[in-house]
Amino acid sequence: MTRLMTAITIKKEWHIAKARGETKKLMMSVGCSATCLTEVVTCVSELAYNLFFHALEGGVIEMSIVEPDGMVGIKVASYDKGPGIKSVTDALEDGFSTNGGLGGGLPGVKRLMDNFQISTSETGTSITCFKRCV
Amino acid sequence: MKKIPILYLNSILIASIQTELTDEEVLSFQSELLKKNNKLMAKGVIIDVSTLDVIDSYMAKVLGDLTTMVKLQGSAFLLCGVKPAVSSTLVDMGMMLTKIDTFLSLEKAFNFLTSNDRKFQ
Repeated sequence: MTRLMTAITIKKEWHIAKARGETKKLMMSVGCSATCLTEVVTCVSELAYNLFFHALEGGVIEMSIVEPDGMVGIKVASYDKGPGIKSVTDALEDGFSTNGGLGGGLPGVKRLMDNFQISTSETGTSITCFKRCV
Repeated sequence: MKKIPILYLNSILIASIQTELTDEEVLSFQSELLKKNNKLMAKGVIIDVSTLDVIDSYMAKVLGDLTTMVKLQGSAFLLCGVKPAVSSTLVDMGMMLTKIDTFLSLEKAFNFLTSNDRKFQ
């Protein structure tokens, strides 16, 4: 069962802050712990930064509260329209960065979330992850 | 554009980052802090993040860069008030920020810089 859905378009830098705020609101409505909230908001922040810095025309972050088998969790998805990630293996490696950052974004998101899927091509990248709210 | 106030007390520069910053805000804060430090020759700079809910890789990079810049100028750089959830998330993310000297509270950081027998960590 899915309820509560939000989609945020990331084109300008302030949209990243907006995405963080929306995530916080969504997470608070579920009533999860401070640690869980911080982890999910950090993940959304990383994904939004990636859309802003790397994607051609920005992208969209979709969030939904899902309740499979009686537990509550949040599903976060990030979509863009290219140019795609050259090497997913490199992008998921700690310390790898193409824009002078720390290079901990994507591998961090993968570690913080319970489930992480990525598919990429020249026409776009989509990342879907899930975390159980505790 | 948000402007972060930089206070000067007992030869120490103090600033509190309370919300996430944009690229432009970071650059302006950075240059103002370095200029003030150069002019006032502070013993150290304390940055308080006790109201910051999220430190992501961008903010971690900003803090790391600031540390290096302030230390290059010859002053100490102390960070204080990292929230419990933020500290655990940072480690999970793989961002240890080990080169930054951190303190539990602004008071502890301030006392450390003002006490005469301070030893560097």
